[in-house]
Amino acid sequence: MSGNITAAAAGSTDLGLSLPQQLTVIALCALTAFVSHLALAVFNDGVRPFMLDFIQGRTTRSATTAVSFGLSAGFIFGLGAPMALSTGVLNPWLLFLPTDILGILSPKKWLAPVLGAAWGAVVVFGLNGANSLAHDLPVDFLTAMQQMSTPILFLFTLFPVLAITKQFGTLRGGIAGVVELVLVVATMKLWPNVFAGAVAMAVGVLMLIAFAVSKDLRQRRAEQAERAANGDGTAEQAAGDDDPTASLFSASATRLRKHLPLFMLLGAGVCLLAQMHVLGGGEATSFLIAKGDYSGAAQVDFYRVFGFVPLIATTALASGAYGIVGFTLVYPIGYLLPSPWLALMCGALVFAAEVLALSWIGRVLGRLPSVRDSSEHLRGAISESLRLAILFGSLMAADAMGGGLGILIVGGLYLLNEAMGRVVVRMAAAPAAVIVGGIVLNVLYWLDLFIPVKS
Amino acid sequence: MTRILTGGVGKVEVAETVKKLSLDGVHVAVSSDMDAAMKLRAGQADYYLGTCHTGAGASLGVLLGLMGSAACHTFGRSVPTEDEVSALIGDGKKVFGFGMDQIDAVTPVVARAIAAHGA
Repeated sequence: MSGNITAAAAGSTDLGLSLPQQLTVIALCALTAFVSHLALAVFNDGVRPFMLDFIQGRTTRSATTAVSFGLSAGFIFGLGAPMALSTGVLNPWLLFLPTDILGILSPKKWLAPVLGAAWGAVVVFGLNGANSLAHDLPVDFLTAMQQMSTPILFLFTLFPVLAITKQFGTLRGGIAGVVELVLVVATMKLWPNVFAGAVAMAVGVLMLIAFAVSKDLRQRRAEQAERAANGDGTAEQAAGDDDPTASLFSASATRLRKHLPLFMLLGAGVCLLAQMHVLGGGEATSFLIAKGDYSGAAQVDFYRVFGFVPLIATTALASGAYGIVGFTLVYPIGYLLPSPWLALMCGALVFAAEVLALSWIGRVLGRLPSVRDSSEHLRGAISESLRLAILFGSLMAADAMGGGLGILIVGGLYLLNEAMGRVVVRMAAAPAAVIVGGIVLNVLYWLDLFIPVKS
Repeated sequence: MTRILTGGVGKVEVAETVKKLSLDGVHVAVSSDMDAAMKLRAGQADYYLGTCHTGAGASLGVLLGLMGSAACHTFGRSVPTEDEVSALIGDGKKVFGFGMDQIDAVTPVVARAIAAHGA
């Protein structure tokens, strides 16, 4: 089985983009930098809240740039670049976090798309060069990084179970765990060509949503009964308390709706890139796209959407800046569409619907606290399962490229980062350590101190 | 009694960490960003601790919008000292955001500073 993966990897890690694909990446980067310059959307969920002060003129462009850079740098170099190098598939962290920064940085409107396009060109041409250079080194750490895909794909399957356990306790979590395990085994037996975790993940996410919605409905009924017993006074007071949220949210929604055509263009571009199968939206997806499993990739990214809709909706409504990739729904749609023209059309329509529905979604979420809770637990569970998977996969990669010495260097760098108070984001520390370790091993080879492990 | 609410991805862990410190005069409860913003505005709570990946996005998003940036502070990826937190509280900060992988390091510092300020 590992032979299969390496064989597939040898062909797929070559980032052979066609000319239209290269131009699409460059044009989309120009557009995303422009949108970020106008403070209409940024990719980094952490930067979005700071856009409100920027939009309202309470903070400067350079201060906002500093925030954006500080919150994004680790994800670009630690997550985006290593993932793109090891899979040969582009990802949003590598493309859109830098265009966030470049867009906000640009003092002039025209400069933003120029810088964005320049970054797109750097990615398209630079990554290709770095990719083939690294593959020619005596210690090929990029091929070794393919080792990460198996733990990532299989452990990711469990994220709904972790979320259910945290939110609804051990019993329900345990039941979900058993159900998922049975489904994974059944899928492997019955449909060997389908990604084993696909059905399990679907059922897990549906169970979580069902638990959350039923809890919210029960609670609302209880509150209504209580209110009926107490008279109407409390109800009026609650409505009064809601007012600041409502006015802030509706101002933001109006601002975003005013720029609907630009958002439709953005949606079209992101969807097109996904349709071309050169972009993987989530952490696990790039590996599936690299293997050519587009329906598996679509499923994984579709379930991931539930963890992000409430986050993106509330930060967008609170800040007045939307997400560069919207609710991330355009990824799975893009992977599955048969033609680029269809992708352009669907992407534009999906974004239009998202922006128009934003304030309605905000209102609904306001009434479903457990569902918002679930989304937070889902995101926590995604990073929890990926933390183990990425660390384990990185050590497997270290073993593949350098045996015990590789494990010592990569594991050592990871532990050192922990001891220093996590200078590099934990999620990104291990892949970054693999790249550093790979370079160190090559240097040791040149110094005649290390003989590459032959696989 | 100083009332702290927690929210964001690591809200349960943060609340547990604060509880374990068993600080005098500090009451901590798990909340959500929107509820916490309402309670802070209404004076039913005093401080909010939010966590997410970057220490700024999900943890502070709604709070920044509803409380204003003057009341909010993110430690991003740095671990503050108790004096730094005290100074921020003195400046009127009530909402603190930090990275979920640094809950162990940041929560006790912030909670102790809040407790010292309340005493």
